Parts: sequence; C-alpha cells; structure tokens
Amino acid sequence: MSELKTTSLYEFHLSKNSKMIDFSGWSMPFSYDGTLKEHNYVRNSAGYFDVSHMGRLRLDYSQIDEINYLICSDLKNINNTKALYSIFTTETGSALDDVIFWKFEDELILICNASNTLKIKNHLDSFSINYDDLTQHTDLIAVQGKDAISVIKDIMRIPNKFSTLKESVFTYARTGYTGEDGVEIMLEHKNTIDLIDQLESRGVKPCGLGSRDTLRLEASLPLYGFELSDDITPVEAGLKWTLSNPDDYLGKNVIDEQLKTKEHKYLKRFKLNAKQIARTGTVCNSGSVSGVVTSGNISPILGYPIGFALFETNPSHNLVEFDIRGNLVEGNLLEKRFLS
Amino acid sequence: MSDTKYLETHEWYIVDGESFTVGISDFAQGELGDIVFVTLPEVGQEFSKGDAIVEVEATKTVADAYAPMDCVITEVNSNLETEPELINNDPVGDGWMVKAEIKEMDDSGMTYQQYESFIS
Repeated sequence: MSELKTTSLYEFHLSKNSKMIDFSGWSMPFSYDGTLKEHNYVRNSAGYFDVSHMGRLRLDYSQIDEINYLICSDLKNINNTKALYSIFTTETGSALDDVIFWKFEDELILICNASNTLKIKNHLDSFSINYDDLTQHTDLIAVQGKDAISVIKDIMRIPNKFSTLKESVFTYARTGYTGEDGVEIMLEHKNTIDLIDQLESRGVKPCGLGSRDTLRLEASLPLYGFELSDDITPVEAGLKWTLSNPDDYLGKNVIDEQLKTKEHKYLKRFKLNAKQIARTGTVCNSGSVSGVVTSGNISPILGYPIGFALFETNPSHNLVEFDIRGNLVEGNLLEKRFLS
Repeated sequence: MSDTKYLETHEWYIVDGESFTVGISDFAQGELGDIVFVTLPEVGQEFSKGDAIVEVEATKTVADAYAPMDCVITEVNSNLETEPELINNDPVGDGWMVKAEIKEMDDSGMTYQQYESFIS
C-alpha cells in the first residue's frame, strides 16, 4: 500500500488528539471532541475543517468555453465574482464529479473531491484544458456555522453568498457543505497556522470529517461516491437545479431525455421511526419499487435516523421498508429537506 | 465479586456469585464513536455464549455486544434508552448494559492486562 498523503496540518491534528482516518489516500482527521459535539459546534456556533485533501486546480479563464462544455451548469454567464456548484458530466450524462468553481476576472479555481482529483485532471487533459494543480502547495480551510460570519468578519472581508474574494493572503468564497453559512479559504501553507490561531482565539472549534458527513447529510447535500457516481446522473440525484447550462455539454442529450421521459432512477430522502440506522447498501422497497440506501445516519438535530435511497423508478407512495440486518424496518420518504 | 474480565469481541463482564454484569470496553466505545441508539434485550430472554444481546448504533457504525456465557437476562440498564452516551462517557461504570443469571459458568475472559496487550 502506498503511503497516505498528509496535509500541512497533520502534526497539528495529532497535537489536538484527532482520530485520523484514511480518506481517499489521505490521512485526515475524523474527529477531535466527538462527531456529535462537532456537529453541534457548527449548528450552534462555529467550527473549522481542514479540507486540504480536496483537489484545487487553477484554470485559464481563456478556456471557459471548453470548460463549460464539460459541466451541466452555466459557468460562462455568471459574474466574475461568483462561486458555482456544478457537476462534470460524462457522455452518458452521469456524474464524473461534483465540484465548486470560484470565478475570478483572471482565473478559475476548481475544487473537486479528493477521490476524483486524478480523474478530473485526466478528463481536463483529454479535452486539452490547461490547469495548475495547487493541491499540494496550498491548504483549504472551511469555516462553517451559525456564528461563522460574525467571527470571520474580524479576519477578512465577507463576500456575498456564493461569491468569491481575494484579500491579503486569502483566496476564498462564501460557500460550504454543512448547510450553515461560512467561508472556504485557500491559502499557502505558511499562513495556515496563523489563520487557525485566529479562529481558535475566537472560539471556533476544530471539526473532523465525521461531523462533516453528518452535517452534509442532515443538510440534504449529496456526497460523491454515494448519492452521485459515474452511474448516477444529476437528474437522478435530484439535482435538476444545477442544469443551468444553456449550451451543448457532454451528456446533455441523455439528461434532456431523462427530463422528458422521467424514466430514470430517483434519489429520495427518508426517515425512520426506529432505533436502527439504515446504512449505505441497505436494501429497501417502496411498494414494488426497489431501492438501496446511499447514505444513512442519525440526524443529531432531529434525533432520528435519516438518509438517502436510490430507487429504480419513482416510488408511488411514501412508505418504505428497509431490510436492516435481517429485520424489516418501516420508514417514510420525504419530499422536503430534512431541516426546514 | 471477581475482577473485570474482557472478551476478544470487546465486552467486559464482572461475575458476582450466580450472575454477571456486561458492557463494552473503553476501547470499543472509542472505536465506535458517538453511540446514538441502544437496543436492549428483554428481561427473561435466554442467550447462549456468543449470541448478540445488545445492538449498538453509533455515528460511525453498528455493533453487537455478545453474551460472555450462557445466561438469562435479569436486568437491563434502561438509562441507555434515553442516554446512550453513558456508554461513551463511562463504559465500565454507568454505561453497563445488562445483568444476567449464569446458566453455565465460563469465566475464561482476559484480565485487563491481557486485554490491553490484545488491543495494542
């Protein structure tokens, strides 16, 4: 097995007694004070995450047309100060990766999942799109939470929601993946500990990937490899709102066909009235429609188990039965998000 | 009361005359992460050594606690229904799971020292 990659904060994480896990070839903090505590730091005050394992590529603005052809959203026509969540699609309309673009006047920063960085780089290569891989030379710190903005405003200027800024040593955007307000900040290694010190002195707590996962699930956000994959399209994952690209793009014909016929898989939110968690891979059915759980865990805020399940077709009613380790457990499909 | 003994499946138990108390080890709770639901057996239920007696759902994964010997459940820690975090906070104390009457004594568990070297 090849050696795990580490972020510049690796020693810092160990000094904080973090439990480390292997995540997509990186040794990353899973939790410091416990997943539930960290979840609540973000929901009730603020937390920061080292997400430097995520891929960061600098792209040439001059190739925006070529880049726009590879994603389902309209990167070209949004303002130069905006951040955009989008999906790289394949020829068959499925998801190669879900990513964030930070659009600046002179460059584009592409942030992709750690597990997909190499895949995205190869994809860009095959379409002759140039990039600088900044992943190893920078860090990425997400500051998230109810109080995140009021803390961050002492340290840097606050961009509008889903907008980007460059100021001092920070390149950042008002984005995140927890359902709370906050910023994601890219900076050089030499400046990271200073930022962390400033956050900690203002009471912002370190949070690991365990709480990042419970937070994103509770916020109804998909995770690549679970709710999205190279076998699942944005339409199937319930991400029709990302389909803003007005021009032709890779896989558009398949996606348009799915929109028209409505004949495709359906990702649904569910909750259980039980003390069992329906975890990834749990088989379920709603009437005659079979499905499989893509992610499941407790919602720490709601206090009951929640999750996403992918069904072969659109279930016609909201009752669903899960086979949890040999026990049949009933649940309900939800039209609305978990947290209102 | 005998010493606390440990199983390879990470339960602890203490024999007290004809009965024992069982829970999961500090190491086990640490590996599981935050425990959020506990499904306890009914008083009077019978189990054989190695049967799953308690189901523990944690944020990270799910695990069973196994019977250290053949037994009949005499008491369950119903505090765990509302405060499953007792297992995280005090696994070998307030986080105990069940007490049971011994049907067939099997005190073959590891001592703490043996368990410590087993997990290290």
